[in-house]
Amino acid sequence: MNHFALMFLYALLLGLFFTALWKRDRGSQIRLFLQVFGGLIGGAIILGWLMYFLPSGPPAPIPPIQ
Amino acid sequence: MAGTPSGLSTRSPALVAVIAWLVPAAGHLLLGRKRRAALFAAVIGCALIVGVRLNGNLHRPLPKQPMSYLATLGSMGSGAPYFFLRYGLEYSGDPTADGFEYGTAFLLSAGLMNLLLVLDSWDIATGRKE
Repeated sequence: MNHFALMFLYALLLGLFFTALWKRDRGSQIRLFLQVFGGLIGGAIILGWLMYFLPSGPPAPIPPIQ
Repeated sequence: MAGTPSGLSTRSPALVAVIAWLVPAAGHLLLGRKRRAALFAAVIGCALIVGVRLNGNLHRPLPKQPMSYLATLGSMGSGAPYFFLRYGLEYSGDPTADGFEYGTAFLLSAGLMNLLLVLDSWDIATGRKE
């Protein structure tokens, strides 16, 4: 799966989860879902474009697992 | 308790919370919230499966890394699946895998979501929430 598909799936899962957890009536469920889903996708795209203008550095070191 | 199927209101909130932690969404199922339980089980199950398929890190405590203890607590929030993966399948993740970071996010999120479900089950069992 590519980066966007994974981000889409992650936002979808979190949106569904918080909608079912916090809201009961259909109208506010749809509103909250769109807020969470749109916020995650839109926020990631905006942050991604902001990082585009930053200079790239060396790759991050691989964390140890014991 | 309003909205609670007969017989379920007598269940101990502590017992419900423990079951909710051990088996994701089981607390809601026990309290008669079947549709919500099915959705929560699907969401958490999907997050766990995707996380494992991507070879994400199933956190465990590392010496001299205090944040690893916090991350371990979060991951252990998924209950029995955490222990099954860690001790049953001896799963730990692969840091060289392409999806390692994404998989870690999915696995950690599954644990944190289940912890929220434990709190929600507690609130429903004590009558604070419908």
